[in-house]
Amino acid sequence: MLKTLRDPSEKVLAWLLLTPAFLLIALIVIYPVGKLIYNSFFDLRLSGGANLGQFVGWLNYQDVLKDADFWHATQNTLWITLITVPGALLVGLGLALLANLPFQRKWPVRLALLLPWALPLSFCGLIFAWFFNTDYGIVNDVLRRLGQQETTMWLLRPNWAFAAICLTIIWKTSSFMALILLAGLQMIPRSLYEAAEVDGATRWQQFWQITLPLLMPSIVVALIFRTLTALQTFDIPYTMTKGGPGNSTETLAMLIHKTTIDYLDLGYGSTLAVFMFLISMAVTAVYLRRVGQTA
Amino acid sequence: MTTAAALWSGKRLRMAAAALIVVNGFFPALWILLTSLKSESELVRKPITWLPHAPTLDNYVHAFTAQPLLHYLGNSLMVASLSTVLSLLVAACAAYAIARLNLRYRQWILTAIVASSMFPLISLLVPIFETMRSLNLLNSYLALVLPYTVLNLPVCTLVLVSFFQSIPKDLENAAMIDGCSRLGALWRVVIPLSAPGVFTAGILAFVNAWDEFLLALSLNASAAMRTAPVGIALYQGEYSFPWPLISAALVITIVPVAVLIALFQERVIGGLTQGGLKG
Repeated sequence: MLKTLRDPSEKVLAWLLLTPAFLLIALIVIYPVGKLIYNSFFDLRLSGGANLGQFVGWLNYQDVLKDADFWHATQNTLWITLITVPGALLVGLGLALLANLPFQRKWPVRLALLLPWALPLSFCGLIFAWFFNTDYGIVNDVLRRLGQQETTMWLLRPNWAFAAICLTIIWKTSSFMALILLAGLQMIPRSLYEAAEVDGATRWQQFWQITLPLLMPSIVVALIFRTLTALQTFDIPYTMTKGGPGNSTETLAMLIHKTTIDYLDLGYGSTLAVFMFLISMAVTAVYLRRVGQTA
Repeated sequence: MTTAAALWSGKRLRMAAAALIVVNGFFPALWILLTSLKSESELVRKPITWLPHAPTLDNYVHAFTAQPLLHYLGNSLMVASLSTVLSLLVAACAAYAIARLNLRYRQWILTAIVASSMFPLISLLVPIFETMRSLNLLNSYLALVLPYTVLNLPVCTLVLVSFFQSIPKDLENAAMIDGCSRLGALWRVVIPLSAPGVFTAGILAFVNAWDEFLLALSLNASAAMRTAPVGIALYQGEYSFPWPLISAALVITIVPVAVLIALFQERVIGGLTQGGLKG
């Protein structure tokens, strides 16, 4: 025993070195997931209520399925995902193709792609809320200069607020997308393009026949990654509209946050989170299968 | 080459492409910088001005005096630094075991560590909130440091595994023949040689922790424990969008991170795409 402690065999050492990581993951991920599912079967309204701590079976689940706010927030979340994921892909692909041109100085372009990534989502929401400010925002100023007569009340009208949020998310996430795709572009061998040139292929044909197929693995990984984060959208709508006007721009993550942190209803909040969890896990399963193939 | 192709590779087109990317990336930060230099009366003038008429630093003075911004920045710095150091320590140990030691299921273990970051943070929020509440850790540095460490574990582990694998095994063996223990060889040979990797992972972890919002807002909402992103976002609740103050505070908080990534862009991009492509 003493000998193994002083001169641990490789195997023992390996597991010792992995222990801190596993302990932390157990504390912050595994245990909470179990606790989440457990909580979802209880009445845990900490703000008061006679039945605190009582087992309620599937009641919370039934309530969620009947909850108009839940369906509304889920719908918003899915729309945000369906709009901003392809949107960020298109903008990101455009940026990546442009950034792949042979520049003499590379740093301004690189920094311009990194800056939006490094900017906190919450700051991004604040800055774009200022852009879209009805009276003093630059968006309305530009529209006015272009000759638009009516002032758009961006963040004060449900549909416009939703559009503003989607545009902000696309701006924020397309740069990271571009960085991933740029790395993929740089791995495509130049000789393929040279051969295509010899065969007389146009640039357009080269893009469809060489660039896009070879970029596909990067695109798929970036898409799944982005989908997972889009499903959890919180920071940008929270800082731009707080879910308003009314609850028109509330996402599922915001509803969970409000239920749990503001109303201290941990049971119902947990049940909402279980639904979020199931949606995300379905996407993750697809993702991990992909990683398994490429590894 | 066709004329279109000649145009495509032309210098003018490259300049236009660079300009487009640069404007897209820098404009929001630039606009908030311009906003922060305008006086309060200029900000509510219509039509709005683009460049400040009479640039002033009043908003910056105000940002520090009207709100405890320095305190928020201190909180952010503490939480981000502590969690970065902890992530690096834990990830270095795990990465060494995965990259170097005789271990079965190494691919499976790496996948498990990466998968832990795939769990939606918002659904972990409820039980983490409850755990921290029962441990009396709400509104403490530890409440954020522990979750941030786990959030950064996958990216740090991936970056470090590939760095450790790139170091010749012979160097390590030589050190062990000279009397170093295996851990001694890790500490004296492998870690110093993978300093660039440790550094890259560290920057990524720091920026992620510096930027995080949801947990910081939910677990450390008391005025004394707010991090900068939360503190600044909550200005609006207290005085209905005080833009002069917010813009100056944003610039102050963005600058340290912007400088960090400007200095080490190549490493950051390398680490991001490595972490991003694999996990």
